[in-house]
Amino acid sequence: MADIVHSVPRSDAGNMARPNPLLVVLKVVGKILLPVLVTLFGLAALTFFIGRMLPIDPVVAILGDNATQEAYDNMARALGLDKPLWYQFGIYVRGILSLDFGQALTTGKPVIEDIARVFPATIELATLAIIIGTGLGIPAGVIAAMYRGSWIDQGIRFVGLIGYSAPNFWLGLMGLVLFYASLGWIGGPGRIDFIYEFDIEPITGFYLIDTAIQGQWEVFRNVFSHIILPASILGFGALAYISRMTRSFMIEQLGQEYIVTARVKGLSWGRTVWVHAFRNVVVQVMTVVALSYAFLLEGAVLTETVFAWPGFGRYLTNALLVGDMNAVVGCSLLVGIIFVSLNLLCDLLYRVFDPRTR
Amino acid sequence: MITKNFSNGRMVAAAAVALLSSISLPALAATPGSALVMAWNIDAISTFDPAQIGEVVTSELVQNTCDSLVDFDPADESKVVPLLAKSWDVSEDRKQITFHLNEGLKFPGGEPATAKELAWSMQRVVLLGYGNASTLTEYGFSKDNVKERIVATDDNTLVLKLDNPYPTNLILQAVGANRVSSLLDMKTLMSKEVNGDMGNKYLATNTACVGPYRLVQWNSAESIVLEANDEYYGAKPKLKRVLIRHVAEPGTQRLLLTQGDVDIARDLSPDDLADLDGKPGLKIERVLKPQLFFWTFNAADPVFKDERVRLAMRYLIDYDGLAKSVMTYLGVPRASFAQLGAVGALNAEEGQPFKLDLEKAKALLTEAGYPNGFESNVLFGTLPHSAPIAQSVQANAAKVGVKLSLERMANAQLFARIRGREFQSGMLAWQTGVPDAHGNASRLVYNPDNRAEAKLTQIPAWRSSYQDEDFNKRVQAALLESDPEKRNEMYYSLQKDVMEKGPMAIMFQMYNTLGMSDKVKDWTWNGFRVYYDAVSK
Repeated sequence: MADIVHSVPRSDAGNMARPNPLLVVLKVVGKILLPVLVTLFGLAALTFFIGRMLPIDPVVAILGDNATQEAYDNMARALGLDKPLWYQFGIYVRGILSLDFGQALTTGKPVIEDIARVFPATIELATLAIIIGTGLGIPAGVIAAMYRGSWIDQGIRFVGLIGYSAPNFWLGLMGLVLFYASLGWIGGPGRIDFIYEFDIEPITGFYLIDTAIQGQWEVFRNVFSHIILPASILGFGALAYISRMTRSFMIEQLGQEYIVTARVKGLSWGRTVWVHAFRNVVVQVMTVVALSYAFLLEGAVLTETVFAWPGFGRYLTNALLVGDMNAVVGCSLLVGIIFVSLNLLCDLLYRVFDPRTR
Repeated sequence: MITKNFSNGRMVAAAAVALLSSISLPALAATPGSALVMAWNIDAISTFDPAQIGEVVTSELVQNTCDSLVDFDPADESKVVPLLAKSWDVSEDRKQITFHLNEGLKFPGGEPATAKELAWSMQRVVLLGYGNASTLTEYGFSKDNVKERIVATDDNTLVLKLDNPYPTNLILQAVGANRVSSLLDMKTLMSKEVNGDMGNKYLATNTACVGPYRLVQWNSAESIVLEANDEYYGAKPKLKRVLIRHVAEPGTQRLLLTQGDVDIARDLSPDDLADLDGKPGLKIERVLKPQLFFWTFNAADPVFKDERVRLAMRYLIDYDGLAKSVMTYLGVPRASFAQLGAVGALNAEEGQPFKLDLEKAKALLTEAGYPNGFESNVLFGTLPHSAPIAQSVQANAAKVGVKLSLERMANAQLFARIRGREFQSGMLAWQTGVPDAHGNASRLVYNPDNRAEAKLTQIPAWRSSYQDEDFNKRVQAALLESDPEKRNEMYYSLQKDVMEKGPMAIMFQMYNTLGMSDKVKDWTWNGFRVYYDAVSK
């Protein structure tokens, strides 16, 4: 994925003569869309063939261990497993083009429907987590760079180290024991208390948004009390990464001569750092944030398990464990799409924030 | 390797939770008085179609939403009691059973439910041909004859015609009390039919049958709500609702239970169970289930084809030591193929005569031509007790020169290897659906065709490449023996012989366990069923 980020055209557009607008469009499409399609096709092919070669039997996953050979053969035929591999892959690709990823073996529903169900739970969690991680991580990184080597820097480094190295599921369990079991400040595992669960009319699938739209503030509070701990713990991990990276970008900038110039001209230290130096690292920080967000969207399996969070990571892991290859390939493609589109988004934002790329 | 580190890490975390929660102040929440709230790992649910379901969670839910013809007696699973059928007659030759259904049966929507729908529901299982069809085909029903053999003679009478004079009690257990005799709503299902699936797709997310509860909400991998069925013909359930919350992590289940946010936690780890046992306000319940955990040998393997080697392996299993450590909350030692609680099963003592005896093992190996042991391989899956048991056996085997290499893999992969006969030995579990010795005799002993191309993959004896003509005959004879006393005797002697010679060293019979709040009263279960309608608070 790093390759795609760095393959951004940086300054090759500036000194060319004005070409035909149609050509530009074609060129952009060729440059952006083609690699994306090739990447996704490669991903689909790779996961599909690995999945089919695993020594896991999808028929047993459906029929159970007790099925007769006749029932087994019928199901294998119904799944198309008696056809040659390339043929199965052809059918699969044709399905993908019409957004049909096949049936998930374990839930009996179309994979796309399953993903539509579990993904909002993960997006909601990941988004809140990245807001927490970015909101605290960037200032922490900048401050650490400003007071480099001081006790503040050491303190931030220490907190970051914990966020980096403590396993999420452990932090999750400890957090639950402390804030839910002992102090009773927050809701327990799950997205919502059972008594409210059926009050929510799913509109977007994001419980915070749905309850807010419907003005159910009591339910909203309950949802918030459930999401805040897992989001904080995931955000903590992101915070650690973002603050460390921001710090090192900032230190590099603060050593530049223009900083000295700004200071000599009488600018305040705060203004120098936040306005002049920080603006120069925004683009880099954005890449870090986008990648962190992509990782969070992949689903934090362990956190989702500990918090009984019905999200994407748990769905994918479960599918892997039972050998539900349709679901696995569908999910892998989605992860691929997330990474590719966040990278594209980054590219676009570069153009907005970095005058050199205009 | 990753999984192993992860589980070690989890154990540390679990210990930390135990420590912290023991010093924390109780700040108990309460569950609604009219509902039973359970935390349970319900990942495996894929359908509510009684013709297709094969795993424990859905089976339990279907048993509480879809009544069968007859029921297991809650107090003694080897006996049957009336359910949909209030009584039944058996013909002189034992080949025909006539069931008289309760009057006024209704589906949850209020439509009348009759023997006609019941006959259709049972025929449907065979016609669809999913895994559960074997429950019926085993007793002579087939796609060709099922419409003549299962018939409704009027609205309240259902007749089963059998191909052999099977013991009536066995048929009642295996067919009558099984989910295959659920009474499904034919009209609704046929109106939802897709490509001749007889409503199979509809039942992936719905229930449509006669039972004490009905499924009102199911959010896959999230939660389930059952509500008492107002149209139910029998006694109304004591609790109006059963709420099941999906929680995969045992440590999380434990927290929810001790916090009072759930009444019952279904998947507590043995460590948690030991720790919570005796805590005020909580109860630990366990009941033996018809599941055996065994070490199966491939009789086509040059080493394991010798029955003396297989017998020697049994003396390497530290039954007592494991029972007191790893297995305390998981199961009891059992070497017989017939589970405790089944008709015809040897009692606890006679059904497990083995103990760790290295000298005896050594003597048997010497006799078989392996005085210095041999090298072999053991496959096992991800059941939590598999690894400790395999390691214990490996350590004991090393003492008599037998070098066992252990190979851990995903369960789906393990099943594929064992079903394909691609193994030397393996450890796995097997569960029967019948509280009768025949249930396992027909699978763990009987093998009608040992050829590879016969592909009898649903028969563990076949998977072990094991066939014994004498055992085959005795299994068949015991099945059709009309005198119950004599039949029991036949099973007793068969169990004793199979323990010595058979292709599997059966090690443990497993428990179902749970932790629950002491506010829950009358939790009723046996190895075959959980009775939600009996529970009160």
